[in-house]
Amino acid sequence: MSRDEGMEVSSVFLLDNQSGSMVDAELWDAITEKNLADWEADWIPQVFDMMKALKQKGVERSLWPQSRHWHWSDKVRAVEERLSNQCFSIVCDDVTQAMMITDLTRRAQLEGQKNNHLVYIDFLETAPWNRAGLIGQPSKYSGAGSILIRAAIELSKLEGFCGRIGLHSLPQSNDFYAKAGMIDLGVDVNYQNLRYFEMTPEQADEFVIKGES
Amino acid sequence: MKINVTKTWCKKMAGLEAFAEVGAGLLAIDPILNDGEPVSGKPEHFGDETRFALQRFVGLSRRSMNLSVEKLAERADIDLSELITLETDVHHLPEPRTLYQLAQVFNVSQSKLMELSGLTQPKDVHYLEEAVRYAARSESIAKLTAEEQAALDGLISVLSEK
Repeated sequence: MSRDEGMEVSSVFLLDNQSGSMVDAELWDAITEKNLADWEADWIPQVFDMMKALKQKGVERSLWPQSRHWHWSDKVRAVEERLSNQCFSIVCDDVTQAMMITDLTRRAQLEGQKNNHLVYIDFLETAPWNRAGLIGQPSKYSGAGSILIRAAIELSKLEGFCGRIGLHSLPQSNDFYAKAGMIDLGVDVNYQNLRYFEMTPEQADEFVIKGES
Repeated sequence: MKINVTKTWCKKMAGLEAFAEVGAGLLAIDPILNDGEPVSGKPEHFGDETRFALQRFVGLSRRSMNLSVEKLAERADIDLSELITLETDVHHLPEPRTLYQLAQVFNVSQSKLMELSGLTQPKDVHYLEEAVRYAARSESIAKLTAEEQAALDGLISVLSEK
């Protein structure tokens, strides 16, 4: 695997949905050129194929997952510009399975922890083959999202933010964050109407404990 | 930064995550497909009748399996509120994943459920008419009557892969 020097690597595991077994994976505390190359070479073509399949199936465009006006080149450039923030990626089978970019400058909005520092998840995306809802087929691997949320919680604790995290959820992910124990603060009209979720220190502890019980 | 997570933790959380999609932030929003004409407007068949057939099929199938709404939601791993809405609100447009999960539980074709719901265009409208006819024969009572069972059998026959 092509790792950057100085990058920290943690051992993690993903669920292989076909075999039902746990497979070795790595959590990198960076998004490297390799991750971006995987994105362009593997992710983009597959999302493109999925969209074509949706179109061929006659699914209305308004119902396509996250269908918005966006260009790949703008998206890649925007990610590159944000690489100064704390980033994470999960690699398995020598391919990037998920990526996350966090921002440590944001403040909490939830009553009770308002204006306290938190780790804001600026960007979190899993590889298209790990997104079952997109084409209605089981995903290849499960668990990457939870590991990245855990990483954000641990970063928050490391920074002295006590596990507080916040994010704007994609529409198809709202249930996941609600089940993860995050509080839904409603639609944010400044973020293309994505819903804003926040996690308190207590909820962060519960999230960690949930996997151990 | 390194984190310490055990295989047990990853396994448990992966199980809870199941097939949920996890994404956040404006950058995670996918672009639209720009080649060719966009799919626009509602399909011709799109209407409350076929949605009603879907609604009745789910309700009858659930009852024939002796499942409460809550139990079915649990078994299909879908949101209880989504299932309640699906069974009670004929105008509700269900999520593709919900139909996928229900198709697995009821052992019928996901694509046909998608067509019934109006999410996709049907290749063959004949079975849709049949499904609506079977659904219209059913009444909502606690136990399935012989007529309801016959209606359900009919729905299953037109919604199965065969």
